[in-house]
Amino acid sequence: MYKIEAHNIVKNFEELEVLKGINMNVSEGEVVAVIGPSGSGKSTFLRCLNKLETINGGKIVIDGEVLADTNAAGEVVYAPMKESTRIACKMGMVFQQFNLFPHMTVLENLIEAPVHVQKRPAAEVIKEAETLLDKVGLLEKRNVYPRRLSGGQQQRVAIARALAMKPDMMLFDEPTSSLDPELTGEVLKTMRNLAEEKMTMVVVTHEMGFAREVAKRVMFMADGIVQEEGTPEEIFEHPKNERLQAFLNTILK
Amino acid sequence: MDYIISIIPQMLMGTVDTLRLFFVTIIMSIPLGVLLALGRVSSFRWLRTLLSGYVWLLRGTPLMLQLLFVYYGLPFIPVVGVRLDDFPAAILAFVLNYAAYFCEIFRAGIQSIPKGQYEAAHTLGMDYVQTMRRVILPQVFKVILPPVSNETITLVKDTSLIYVLAMNDLLRTTRNLVQRDFNIMPFMVAAVFYLVMTLVLTYMFNRIEKNFSRYD
Repeated sequence: MYKIEAHNIVKNFEELEVLKGINMNVSEGEVVAVIGPSGSGKSTFLRCLNKLETINGGKIVIDGEVLADTNAAGEVVYAPMKESTRIACKMGMVFQQFNLFPHMTVLENLIEAPVHVQKRPAAEVIKEAETLLDKVGLLEKRNVYPRRLSGGQQQRVAIARALAMKPDMMLFDEPTSSLDPELTGEVLKTMRNLAEEKMTMVVVTHEMGFAREVAKRVMFMADGIVQEEGTPEEIFEHPKNERLQAFLNTILK
Repeated sequence: MDYIISIIPQMLMGTVDTLRLFFVTIIMSIPLGVLLALGRVSSFRWLRTLLSGYVWLLRGTPLMLQLLFVYYGLPFIPVVGVRLDDFPAAILAFVLNYAAYFCEIFRAGIQSIPKGQYEAAHTLGMDYVQTMRRVILPQVFKVILPPVSNETITLVKDTSLIYVLAMNDLLRTTRNLVQRDFNIMPFMVAAVFYLVMTLVLTYMFNRIEKNFSRYD
């Protein structure tokens, strides 16, 4: 059984068709990198998986549970609100802009949802949160407000915050794109550690080094469709698709 | 000096009426303003239209007119028409009017919070109420403190409008004293009273702002 199944996902913004039938299956412990030029729909696709965007066609199955499906009349039907939220929350998400809660300290950011959404005992959650902060190397920043942290530190806190929910899978939406080059390393290292722990991950990224070394599979998207998909070696060493060849030429120069 | 001391008890009595109106208005109009603002940014089109009409009406006509209407005009309206005493009438007019202003302040505040905050809350499984109560509104309160402070200070002075309902607030008491004694000193004393009230408010809001600035 796949952890994430996306069948023929279609998404329109008004008249514009952004996703024209995307398929993806992710197995347990697999790291999939999604690459492609801006405007290719890769972020939108990722956001469809956890209902940040609603789809206009197709089927999404998360961990064996149907999040959304298209009926015979062509209408997309989502699981009821409570169910769909529960299903979507099996995936933690990390954003390009971090989106930490600025009015809460680092520790408060981590424990907010486990305590108030999952209703787990605060003492237990705090202990786990501290372990997570230690893992991302920011335990000493536990009582600091996010604005006092560098971008790289904020993103590591954001990763820890997502992990505090004990998700089965993690979605990364260009996690290093708004960081200064010298700060991307620390975030990528955290993600690499996560991959080594066999976390199931879908990573939309411009970091070709990460896609090449950490991902088990790479998906190249352009113009709302998957142009080519394969192992990092197939994608980076022997690209067959013309769009992919052109894309690699521009960014690897 | 003796004269000033002699009029102070009466002026304090007037100030009590002024402060009663002030506090009741603040306590009722701010929560109402928050609710109206949530309606103004809700996904229900009819509700947004209705509330923008409400805000337009209440901000677009003088508070004095609204006050006179509630007191003198309301009894003539069929079905809902009731005759209110002067204080309840004043409260009704002030709360409805100030809620409209607070609604706009809170709406702007809510809309200033980046979309990413809602998305982060969503991916952490928070529902609408949790998102608003724990993530959005605490950030909104920080943003809207300066305009709310402004509005609150305006309210201190607007309370003097109840003068037209023949209530013995600070201003009316003052004018009675001036007319009775042919002495303009009560005007000066009233000015000092208003200044002290606004000074206290200014100080309070500065303290609150400082407290909120801890996470900058």
